[in-house]
Order: sequence, then C-alpha cells, then structure tokens
Amino acid sequence: MTLLQVKGVSRRFGGVRALNDISFDMQAGEIVGLMGANGAGKTTLFSLIAGNVAPSAGEIWFDNNRIDGLAPHQVNRLGIARTFQIVRPFANMTVLENIAVGALYGRGRTMSQHRARERCMQILEEVGLADRSDMLASALTLAGRKRLEVARALATEPRLLLLDEVLAGLNATEARDALDLLRRLRASRSLSIVVIEHVMKALMQLSERIIVLHDGQKVMEGVPAEVANDPRVIKAYLGEKRGAEHP
Amino acid sequence: MSKKTLIETILAVVGVVFLAFAPWFVGAYWLGVLLQLMSWIALTQSWVAFSGLSGYVSLAQAVFYGLGAYVMAVLWQQAPIWQVLLLAGVAATILAVVIGYPALRVRGPYFVILTLGLSEFVKYIVVAIEAATESSGRLLLGTPDPEILYYLLFGLAVIASLLTFWLSRSRWGVGLRAIREDETAAATLGVPVAFLKTGAFALSAFIPGVVGAIWVMRTTYFEPLELFSPALSFSVVTIAIVGGSDQAPGPILGATFIVILSELLWARVPQLYLILLGLLLISFVLFLPRGIYGQISALQSGKRS
Repeated sequence: MTLLQVKGVSRRFGGVRALNDISFDMQAGEIVGLMGANGAGKTTLFSLIAGNVAPSAGEIWFDNNRIDGLAPHQVNRLGIARTFQIVRPFANMTVLENIAVGALYGRGRTMSQHRARERCMQILEEVGLADRSDMLASALTLAGRKRLEVARALATEPRLLLLDEVLAGLNATEARDALDLLRRLRASRSLSIVVIEHVMKALMQLSERIIVLHDGQKVMEGVPAEVANDPRVIKAYLGEKRGAEHP
Repeated sequence: MSKKTLIETILAVVGVVFLAFAPWFVGAYWLGVLLQLMSWIALTQSWVAFSGLSGYVSLAQAVFYGLGAYVMAVLWQQAPIWQVLLLAGVAATILAVVIGYPALRVRGPYFVILTLGLSEFVKYIVVAIEAATESSGRLLLGTPDPEILYYLLFGLAVIASLLTFWLSRSRWGVGLRAIREDETAAATLGVPVAFLKTGAFALSAFIPGVVGAIWVMRTTYFEPLELFSPALSFSVVTIAIVGGSDQAPGPILGATFIVILSELLWARVPQLYLILLGLLLISFVLFLPRGIYGQISALQSGKRS
C-alpha cells in the first residue's frame, strides 16, 4: 500500500529555491533514508510533509488524504510525527509532561491524563528514559533530549515517523543503542520511517531505500548499495576530481 | 496527597471561611480593603489562567474590565443586576475573541503591544460614543451595599481561583504550557494552538468583565478614561510577577502582598508610594523572578531548574 506520495513539490524562500520538483512514493512499513549535503533541502522536505511549511508548488498525499496546506496539528492527527534536528524540548516541563503532550493531543489522543501518563511511562521504558521521568527536560543530556524527541513523537501514535538526525552528536555506543531502538520500535509498532542522517554507516544499515538530494533536486533513489557506488552521489558529496571534467 | 498540598488545602479552607465571615467583624475601612483584595485576586487569577500558562503576556485586562463597567453603567436599572453581570462577562468574552483573532497571530513583545493598542482603541471608541451622546460620565444611583458587593467579588475570586487551579492541571493546561515552551513543537505534536489560545483568552476575559461591572457599582460613577485605564493591566501583571508561578496560589499571595503593602505605604508615606512600589517590582524581577509562590515551591521541592 502506498502510504506517502510526494508529487512535484517545490519550495522557494524569497529567491532561494530550497526544493525543486521533488517526487517520490513510499510504501507502508518501509524505512527510507534521505541523504544529501548540508543545504540540500532534507529538513525543508520534512517541514513540508509535516505541515510546518506549505509547499510553493506540488501535492503531498498521505493515505489518500491530501495533506499539503493542512496545519501541523492536523497532519499529526492523520498519523505523521516528526522530530527536530535542533531538539525542541519543552524545557520547563518534566520529561513525562513533555511526552504527555503528544499522548493528549496527537493522533492517538486520549482525554484522560491518567491514561496518557500510563501510556507515556510505557514509552519511556522503551526508549530508556523511565528513570528520568520527573526530571525537567532542560536537565537532560543531548543524548537524552534526542530520545525525548523520539519518545514525544511516538506518544502521538504515528504511522509515519520523520526522524531528523537523531544520531547526530551521539557517541558510538549511544548511536548503536539508538539504532537498535529504532529497529525495535518499527517492529513493535509497524511504523514507516523516513530518516535523515549524516552518519553514513547508520543510514546504510537502517534504510531499505535511499533518496539522494543535492541543491534542492532529487539526484537519484535506490537501495543502499546502488547509492553508495553511484558516481552522481560521489560527485554530489565529494565534488569532482580536479581536472576530471577538463582533461 | 503530599504534605505541601495538604498545607495549601488547609490554608485555603481557613482563608475562605475567614473571608466568608469577614463583613461581620471588620469595619467599613477594612471591608473596603478586602473589596480591593478580592477584585485583584479575581483579575490576576483570570490573567494567569491565560497569560501565565500560555506565555502570551496580555495587557487587555483593563479593556475587559472597562467594557464590563460600561455594560453595567448603560443598563443600570434597566434589567436585574445578575443578568447585567452575566451580560458584562459575555460581552468581555466576545470582545476577547475579536481582539484575540488578530492579536494571537503574533508573539512576544508584538502581542503585548497589540493588546495594549487594541485596548486603547476600544477605550477611545467608548469615549467617542459617550461624547456623541453627551452623557460623559454616568451616575449610578441606588447601588447595592458594600457587603453585597463584597460577597459578589468574594464569590468571583473563589471562582477565578478554582478556574486557574483546574485549568493548570487540565489537558487544556498541558497544551497551553507546551505552547508557552515551544509553539512549533507543540503544533507538530498535534496541539491545535490557535484554538487553545483563543479559547483560553476568551475564557480569561469573562471574569474581568464581571469585576468591572461590580466595581462600577462601588464607585457609583462611570468615567471611561478611568475605568478603561491601562494602569489596571499593568497592576495585574505586577501582582502576577510578585505572586509568581502559573498556579492558583501565586495570584492570591501576590494580591495579598500588594494590597497590604499599598495600605501601609499610602497611610505612612503617600509621596513615596509609587516609587517604592516600582523599586519593589524591580527587585522581584531581578532577585525573585519566580515570585513568592514560585520561590516557596522551589525551596520545598529542591527541584533543579
């Protein structure tokens, strides 16, 4: 089943073309990686899908609903949750309260704070923050805040999760734990996931399919092995060998 | 129930019982002071219910109060008082939706200035209407006794306190706090931000509307420039800062502190009253930014911030 369809989406900021005519489909249950250098438009694409920013052109469909132009909370209630690359915790609220916001207002929202708390404690167990549930979010380490972003998104009970660099800034052990966590979550909740990741090894391991963006254009898409060896990708990432084009 | 909640509940019950019987044993002077205290508690509680929780600092409290007073002045002896009181609250609520629709699209200092500007705008519309109908200043004859006004305001202060108490613990309150902390993140987690903000703003306008309608029966004279004075909005913000926190005990402590202090200062050093009050506000902002209640809570729980 096609879960997400992005059709010819563009976004301009003033004169800058952040994204130009991007199209791709995504099946339910897939893990898709988004790859590209800084400024390629990956985060902008997330903002368009999640409703934080409206596209200048094109359409976005999610499970037979047209979602471009909807408010972010409406998109979330249809089943799309995103995390932010630069984490945005509710600093003066406890870890549990942070996550409760998702459980009380997101797609799987409950009106009962008691039930929300129970559900959130379960999520905190899963992501390994249960022992810090009463801490203020501002007191968490960066690794903790990244987990909090994921936990908050999960509390809304999404069908599609957009993860923006949840591994960045983590050390090797933390990153490995986080990858295990994502695999477990996907299996236990039948999630579909789009990941943006700079840690190339992690992206290759996690994704079943990778889409490469460069300067707001889609360069290619394919399975990780294809992408890793594609000359266009190498060019987009590393530039060209001096003199290669003008021998 | 924690020890702190138990103590607070006992204090609240004792306070309510004391205030319920106060008119029997305090003189006219202290009844006047209590009237002030009750209206400041009601005004500040309703402010905290919206601004304290959402972080949108509103200077519109004066316009809701003024409008309530205006409704009472215009309809004086045309309808039963309780109906006019309700109508005053409803009028303020409707005005809040009208003001909130444009104003709640901007944040921070822009919202502050916009609520102040729109309030002044409404004030001068009323001034113009009054001038055009040549009724500048309206006298209200045969207003109820101070004891009755006291019980009205006392009831309102209790309702406003319960409103803040309930709202700050409700699902709605969680949403408003999330908006205060990070509106974009809140929206992305499914919080309908525009709806919650406008709803809370409208709800928090009802009470100052009724307080204004009661207070004009106390002054027995309606003068738009005085009853719509923005000084009221500034005082409410001051009391909220002094009291601290986004929970119900804050405004009660803040209002009590300010009312007692102004009584002491007015009586002894009237020339220095406003200067000392200004210094006090500065010291609170600098040294006790969490206010009286925020400080007490922080000391007790020892929670890191």
